[in-house]
Amino acid sequence: MTSSNLLGELVSKPYKYGFVTDIETEKISKGLTEDVIRLISSKKQEPEFLLNFRLKAYKQWLKMQEPDWAELGYPKVNYQDIIYYAAPKQNQKKASLDEVDPKLLETFDKLGIPLSEQKRLSNVAVDAVFDSVSIATTYKEQLAEHGVIFCSISEAVNEYPELVERYLGTVVPCNDNFFAALNSAVFSDGSFVYIPKGIECPMELSSYFRINSGDIGQFERTLIIAEDRASVSYLEGCTAPMFDTNTLHAAVVELIALEDSSIKYSTVQNWYSGNEEGVGGIYNFVTKRGQCRGARSKISWSQVETGSAITWKYPSCILQGEGSVGEFYSVALTNNLQKADTGTKMVHIGADTKSTIVSKGISAGKSRNSYRGLVQMGPKASGARNYSQCDSMLIGDQASANTYPYIRSQQSMASIEHEASTCRISEDQLFYLQSRGIGFEEAVSMMVSGFCRDVFNQLPMEFAAEADKLLALKLEGSVG
Amino acid sequence: MVRRRICIAFKAVSMSFHDSKWFNSLPTPKGDLEKIQRRGREYLDLIGMPKKSDEAWRFTDLSRLSSLFNLPFLLNNPTNKIRKNIPLPSSKFEGFQLVISPGFDPLESVDLPDGFTQLSTAELDGILGRTIDKCSCNDEWLVAVNNSCTYRVLGLRINGDNLPPLELVLDSREDAFVATRIVLIVESKTKFDLFQVLLGKNNSAHSHLLEMHIGSDACVNHGWLARGTKESGYFATLAIEQDIRSQYAFSSVQEGWSFGRLEQKIVQESGYASTALRGLQVSKGKEQIVNNSTIRFDGPEGVLDQLQKAIAVDYSHSIFNGSIEVPRIAQRTSASQLSRNLLLSKHARIDTKPQLKIVADDVKCTHGATVSQLQEEQVFYMLSRGISHEDAMRLLLKGYCEEIVRTLPVSGSRWGVLSNLLEGV
Repeated sequence: MTSSNLLGELVSKPYKYGFVTDIETEKISKGLTEDVIRLISSKKQEPEFLLNFRLKAYKQWLKMQEPDWAELGYPKVNYQDIIYYAAPKQNQKKASLDEVDPKLLETFDKLGIPLSEQKRLSNVAVDAVFDSVSIATTYKEQLAEHGVIFCSISEAVNEYPELVERYLGTVVPCNDNFFAALNSAVFSDGSFVYIPKGIECPMELSSYFRINSGDIGQFERTLIIAEDRASVSYLEGCTAPMFDTNTLHAAVVELIALEDSSIKYSTVQNWYSGNEEGVGGIYNFVTKRGQCRGARSKISWSQVETGSAITWKYPSCILQGEGSVGEFYSVALTNNLQKADTGTKMVHIGADTKSTIVSKGISAGKSRNSYRGLVQMGPKASGARNYSQCDSMLIGDQASANTYPYIRSQQSMASIEHEASTCRISEDQLFYLQSRGIGFEEAVSMMVSGFCRDVFNQLPMEFAAEADKLLALKLEGSVG
Repeated sequence: MVRRRICIAFKAVSMSFHDSKWFNSLPTPKGDLEKIQRRGREYLDLIGMPKKSDEAWRFTDLSRLSSLFNLPFLLNNPTNKIRKNIPLPSSKFEGFQLVISPGFDPLESVDLPDGFTQLSTAELDGILGRTIDKCSCNDEWLVAVNNSCTYRVLGLRINGDNLPPLELVLDSREDAFVATRIVLIVESKTKFDLFQVLLGKNNSAHSHLLEMHIGSDACVNHGWLARGTKESGYFATLAIEQDIRSQYAFSSVQEGWSFGRLEQKIVQESGYASTALRGLQVSKGKEQIVNNSTIRFDGPEGVLDQLQKAIAVDYSHSIFNGSIEVPRIAQRTSASQLSRNLLLSKHARIDTKPQLKIVADDVKCTHGATVSQLQEEQVFYMLSRGISHEDAMRLLLKGYCEEIVRTLPVSGSRWGVLSNLLEGV
C-alpha cells in the first residue's frame, strides 16, 4: 500500500463520543419568537435587565443577514426548526452531586470527565454543561475560599447580577454579528468566572460542553473577568453524539483582563464532525473575544480544533491597555468533508501592545481548512508589534489549505511580521523514521505532533497529552 | 534602429458613466468586439458600481472611483492629427516606441520592425477575450468597464529572438476619461522586452486592458510604469496566459495617482513555466494606490517568485492583495510571495492581504508580509558613520526602491524612475 493510502486510513478512526444518553429531557417547542425568549428567561428566573438584553439582541438579529463571506457552502439553516432550550428533567438545581441523575454522571464519566468526588480530576475544577443547562460544578467551595467565583452563568445571573450586568455584552455587543446576536437572544448556560484583585486562581478551571439532543441548538455563553493582578487558566472541551442531522452550536465567549492580569483560555474542540459522506455533524459558529483593558494585561488563546462539520471561529484580542499582550495558538485538523474557517483578530489600540499568532492547519481527505486572520494597528498603537506564523500541512491531493491574512496598519511606529508556509508529510522523513524501526502510524503521528509542537507547548499539561492523542486518533486512516 | 511616434487628437463626448447614454454615445465596433462591448454593458447594468461589501473593493475609496466616471469620455478625431505635448524622455532609445490612445489606429502609416505584425480583424475575432476567459476575470468589474468602452484594439503578433524592445506609451487627457486595449500574441520561443508607460494628466481617468498570450518556451520581460499627477486616476487589468516552459518577468512602479489600481491576472496554463513579479507602489499626499495580483497554476512544476513593496507617506493609503491558487493538478509547484511595506507617516495607511489557496499536496508555497518603519539599526549604522539623518533616510529609501526599479526592462532607465519616486517622500 502506498504511503498516501496508509495516511488516508490513519485519519479516519470512528468517533468514540458519539453515544446518546437516554434521559428524560424537558424541551420547549421548536422555533424562535419573542415569546420563546421570554419563556427561556422566565424558566431561568432572570432579572429584567437580562430579558431586555435578550430582546434587544433578538430585534437586532431579525435585521441581520447570515454571513457568507467565508464561503463555507453549508445548506441554509432553518432557524425555526431548532429547539432553543432543552434540559434534563430535574426538579431543582441539585444541592450536591449525590442528587444528580446517575445517568448524567455516568455520561460525563464515559467522556473522561468524572464529576463524583472520588474520581474527580485533581486540581481541575469542572463545570459540566449538558444541552442547555449546567449539571454540576466541582471544587466550588475551595475556590470560594480564595474569593474566586466559578459557576454556571445562570447561577451568576441570580447570585451576582451586578457583575453580570456590568460586564455582559461589553466585549461582544449583542449586535456584533449574526451568530452573536442569536446567542445573546437565546443563550442558555455556560460558565462564569470572576477572579478578584491580586488572586492567582489556585487550580485550572474547566468547562465541558455536551450536546445530547439531536434537534436542539446549543448556545452557551461564557464570561471571564480577571481583576487587577489576577490570573486564571481555563479549559474548555466539547463533544456530541452522532446524528445524521446537523446540530447548531453558536457560542459567545467574553474575556475581560484588567491591569496586570492574565487569562489563558484553552479549547479542545471535538464535536461530532459528520460521517465520511459529510452527513451530520455540528455547525460550530462561535464568537470568542477578549479585551485587554488594563495596562500590561495578557490574554492567551490556545485551541485544538478537530471536530465539527463546519467551524467558523475567530478568537480575538482587543489590546487596549498599554503594553498588553495577546496570543493565539491554534491547531485545526480537518478530515473527510469537514470545513474549518478559523483564525484570529489582533486589534492593537494601545501603545506598546504585542501579539503573537501561531496557527497550524492540517487538512486531510476532501476537507477545507482555512486560516483567516486580522492584524490591525490603530493610530495610537505606537511601538506595537505583531508576529504571525501560519503553517499548513496537506495530507492527500484532495484537501485544501487556504490562508487569508488581513494586515492593516495606521501607525508608522508599529511593526508587523507575517509568514506562512504549506508543506506535506514528506516521503523522505517517513522513510527515515521507518528505516529506524518506527511503525508507519507512529512515524506519521510523530511528524504531525512535531508540526504542532509550538501550539501543544502552550496547552495546559492536562490537555497537551489529550490533544496529542486526539490528533493521532483523528488522523488514523487518512495518512499514506 | 526604428523610432516612431504616433500622436492623436481627441474630442470629448460629454456625458457621464452614471448616465446610460454615456455608453450608447460611443461608436459601435464590428465583429467580436461588438459582442464584448454589449456583454460588458449588460454586466454593468446588472451590477452597477462596486460596493464596500464586495471583498475586492473593501478598502477602496469608492467616492474617488465614482468621481472618475463623472468625466466625459474621450473620442479621437482622426481628421485632426496633431503632435501632442507628451512628456517623453529625450534620451536615445534603441527600440520601437508607440504612443497610443483610444479608438485610433496607432499603426497607421507605421513600419513595424521585423518580428512584429499587426493582427487582422479576423485574427482578433478569434483571439479577443480568450486570455480574459482563461484568467477567469470576465466578471471583474474593471474588465467589464473596459469591455463596455473599447471600440478599437491594438493587436500585435510578436515572433523572433532578436527583437528591439517595445515601448508602449499610454497617454491620458486632462478632464477626460480614456479607455485603451491591447492584445499581444507572443509566439513560441520568442524573447522580447516590453515596457508600458501610463501617463496621467490633471483630472484624467484611464482604463486599460492588456491581454497577452505567451507561447511555449517564450521569454517576456515586461515593465510597467504608471505615473500620475494631481487628481489623475487609472485602473488597468493585465491578463497574462503563459504556455508550457514560458518565462514571464514583470516589474511595476506606480506613483502619483489620486486613484490608481493595477490588477494582474496570470495563469500558467500547462505548467513548467516560471513567473517573477516585482512591484513598487509609492503613495503620497492623499493618494490611494492599489495593486492586486492573482496567479493560478493550471499545470505542474510551476514557479512563482513575487516581491511587492510599498511606501506610504502623508495621508495616503496603499493596498496590496496577492492571491496564489494551486489546484490539484499543479503538483510540485513552488511559489513564494513577499509583501514588504514601509509606513512612514502618522496618518498614512497600509492594507496588505497575501493569500494562499492550495489543494495540491506536493507543493512548496510560502508567503510573508511586513509593515514597519525603516529599521532603526540601519539608520543608526549610517549615523555612526557621519551621514546625516536625512541623507541616511534617503539612502535607505533609495536602496529599498532600487531593488524593484533595477528589474525594469532596459528602456525603463530613461524615464528617471528612481529620482521621480523619491521626490517628496
